[in-house]
Amino acid sequence: MNVGAITEPFAEWRRRSQARFREWVNRRIPPAREVTLDQKRIFIFPSRVGLFFFICLLVMLMTAINFESNLSYGLTFWLVTLFIIATLHTYANLSGITLRAVRAQPAFPGQQSEFEIMLERGRRRDHYALRLHWPHGSEALVNILDDDPVRVRLHVPVAERGWYSPGRLLLESTYPLGLLRCWTWVDLDIRAMVYPRPLSWPDLSGASSDAPDGAAELVVGDDDFFGFRNYQKGDSLRHVNWKALAKGQGMQTRQYTAYAERCVWLDWEMFPGLGVEQRLSHLCYWVLEFDAGQEEYGLRLPGFTLEPDLGERHKETALKALALYGLEEHP
Amino acid sequence: MSSLVEQVPRNALVWIIASMFALLAPHALRIPVWVLLVYIVAVVWRIQVHRGRWSFPGRVVKVVLTLSGFFGVMASYGSVIGLEPTVALLLIAFALKLVELVKRKDAYVLLFLGYFVCITEFLFSQDLLVTLYSIFTVVLVTTALVALHQPGQQRFSGSSLRLAGVMLLQALPLMIVIFFLFPRFGPLWTVPIKSHTAKTGMSDFMKPGDVASLSQSDEVAFRVKFAGEIPPASELYWRGLVFSRLRQGVWSSLGYYEVPAGEMRPREVATNGEGVGYSVIMEPTQQNWLYSLQYAVSGTAGVMHTPDYRLYSPGPIESEYMYRARSWPRSVVEPELSEWRRKTELKLPPLGNDGARSLAQRIRADVDSQQAFVDAVLSYFSNEPFHYTLKPGRLTSSDQIDEFLFDSRRGFCEHYASAFVFMSRSVGIPARVVAGYQGGEINPVNKTVIVHQFDAHAWAEVWLEGRGWVRVDPTSAVAPSRIEWGLEEALASEGTFLADAPLSPLRYRKLPLLNQLRLRYDALTYQWQSWVVGFNREAQFELLHELFGEISARVFITLFIGSWVLVLTPVAISLLRRKSTREINPLDKHYLLFCERMSEIGLARETGETPDQYYARVREEVPEKAEQVERITGLYNELAYAGPGRAERSLAEFISAVSSFKPDRRRF
Repeated sequence: MNVGAITEPFAEWRRRSQARFREWVNRRIPPAREVTLDQKRIFIFPSRVGLFFFICLLVMLMTAINFESNLSYGLTFWLVTLFIIATLHTYANLSGITLRAVRAQPAFPGQQSEFEIMLERGRRRDHYALRLHWPHGSEALVNILDDDPVRVRLHVPVAERGWYSPGRLLLESTYPLGLLRCWTWVDLDIRAMVYPRPLSWPDLSGASSDAPDGAAELVVGDDDFFGFRNYQKGDSLRHVNWKALAKGQGMQTRQYTAYAERCVWLDWEMFPGLGVEQRLSHLCYWVLEFDAGQEEYGLRLPGFTLEPDLGERHKETALKALALYGLEEHP
Repeated sequence: MSSLVEQVPRNALVWIIASMFALLAPHALRIPVWVLLVYIVAVVWRIQVHRGRWSFPGRVVKVVLTLSGFFGVMASYGSVIGLEPTVALLLIAFALKLVELVKRKDAYVLLFLGYFVCITEFLFSQDLLVTLYSIFTVVLVTTALVALHQPGQQRFSGSSLRLAGVMLLQALPLMIVIFFLFPRFGPLWTVPIKSHTAKTGMSDFMKPGDVASLSQSDEVAFRVKFAGEIPPASELYWRGLVFSRLRQGVWSSLGYYEVPAGEMRPREVATNGEGVGYSVIMEPTQQNWLYSLQYAVSGTAGVMHTPDYRLYSPGPIESEYMYRARSWPRSVVEPELSEWRRKTELKLPPLGNDGARSLAQRIRADVDSQQAFVDAVLSYFSNEPFHYTLKPGRLTSSDQIDEFLFDSRRGFCEHYASAFVFMSRSVGIPARVVAGYQGGEINPVNKTVIVHQFDAHAWAEVWLEGRGWVRVDPTSAVAPSRIEWGLEEALASEGTFLADAPLSPLRYRKLPLLNQLRLRYDALTYQWQSWVVGFNREAQFELLHELFGEISARVFITLFIGSWVLVLTPVAISLLRRKSTREINPLDKHYLLFCERMSEIGLARETGETPDQYYARVREEVPEKAEQVERITGLYNELAYAGPGRAERSLAEFISAVSSFKPDRRRF
């Protein structure tokens, strides 16, 4: 018998119901940078412990009935009403919290992106045992005990180049008695940028230099401009080719004849015949290489030009351009 | 993955251990001593685990501990069936669970078990003090439950206690409503009886010295509330047992199967007038008999009427028990005596106590009626040097009644009753010994009669032609003050009243303040017992009928829902009230308003974008708005960061700049 024939309709049904649920949640809790939890956004239901407690209460009630003990009745009913009162307390523990997406750290594929969430209490009320969890990601357990907002960092592994959206964040708590679980799924409209996967490319045979006047000029194989020589005393350590040293080729110095005026252009066209993703990966590799070597570089993509420069900000702009290349949202 | 949530905070561990010991304390006298040792070992073990010195028990150790606990209980009680062994097992399970407490789910099991241990305490006693103590333990267990959900509390903290207290208080009103509305029905199946608790009060046989030893106790036997006037103390003869058979110096009552089928039902008694109505709340005795004034009829469900006109409960009284009764003291009880009854109430051992027999014959020969015989015997007791004492000394001969009548002449009520009945029977007057209590202390606070164990008494009933059963109390002939004023007065010269209980508050009745306190507390106990402990189906029906008239499903549902709304609404409001939206300063509020307007034209501010960065982006995208946006951004920066009082421009200016800002919708 074909197992797939049975499981498939079920899987289909599952998929569809999940999709319907997502749609419903999306309507109910639309994505927003900042979400204050109120009755529209909070769900509450007895937890597994609560069901266990309910069974215990039934046993207690049986005891009270069979022994006709009024105080046993009393205690049983007290715990029943405690259960009911706990509903309000559990709900109040989540209600009024404001969640705010602070930032998402860009990451390379396969790495974990760090998402920072800020939790703030709405009224003068402590919130305990809030568990934050992203599907596939890490979890955190926090209390909000004073007026200062609490910052939480959660890590989620990212996959492909472009924008990564971690999906809905689960915020749940069973405080104060563990009998009820109160939770919400919020979409904080936060996304992390995923850079292309850096792929090494042996040499920059297609690297172009830029004349001071801005005209492009081919400098292929120009030894004066771009090459290595043996290290001499007095050379800046910044210009030592550490990679070669590591390979046992001796200490070499990167040589620049005129690096103040001239710099490297990383160009889309340097990798003829390669696919889009491969090109981006190689460009990414070189952006990181140049940045590590503290050399100025510019970036040219179809429809985007980044003037040669150096520095953290420059690198980020370049990587962002690479990350989002070809995607609908262009920087 | 879920390890964070599953941890047990140290604070919670402290509360759990505290509640464990609190739960153990009231059971301490009821369980074998080794269970206490198990507790101490368990706690030491768990603390050592916490400190990293020892490790959690392995599987084999756990199995061995569980089995030895089980067999230990079996060895101590002889069985594991019954209430006490069950409780002992529960307590051992409780201690062992602590040792293997690793995760939060273990703690849940432990604490829910704790609530259950709390309930078992009520099966033994529903006393006011026990109740107050149990409330304390419930608060402790609940606190531990709350502490379990406050992660990161590594130090002992009282905040969990506060919340637990608040929640329990909020739960209280609803609990009371459910308590009074929840329908009471009988047991669903038979439950283990408390086979190991000592029986208290009168037993169903009596030998000389039994009542005297009972009179050493200051415990309360029962409390009575009369519907009308309280009859004088000399009329308060609380009949509990009737002893019809004398065998080897021991008086005993007839067993159920010793009464022929035709004699099972008490004969109709003609009553006259309203009678005396009262309700009795008995302390647990583990026995079946109930106490009432002659001739009593009870309407309480489950109370039986015996052929010797007593009230009887089919099951032993294991916890405080309330019943109502009505008595007609002047009615003629059993004017016609059946043949079997006459034979039974005349029966004497064929031999022995010849002195008593001949004394009776002599007295009977001198008088002309049975009534005169009774009077003559009583005056014999009062004229001869008989002595009423709590310390009569042991009667050693086989003819105990003779030894008492002619030799020692020192006796407590049972000696006199026994001798009187013996003499009456020997001259053909049907007679029997009745045991119960006589008199009682009237509590002026709430007009209840408190009957103590030391009010235990034995007297006689004789059957006279035309008058039925007549009560005769030979003690009154020897010590009239016993009947009029109670035991303490009767023993005043002897000084033996509660001699073995120097701390009994009853010995200090002469100290007004102490006595006042004692009586007030007793009144409170009575209130507690009649309202809470004695609340049964009839009381429930009466209460609801009185409050709401006809009981229908509609009334019931309305009451339930209404009370829930009444109680839950204030709690919900106090918990969920918002402080007039969130406190946000007007500056930020208006800046956010501005951002919102920008987002309408598709230029939402990015997360983490500073106002300056945002401005730079807006300038690129909509240069025609750049000037306005620059002004708003500048104002905002100045007002936000210049510090209080330093800004040159005012908030009003900023607000008006924002208000007048209209993004151009035509762009989209």
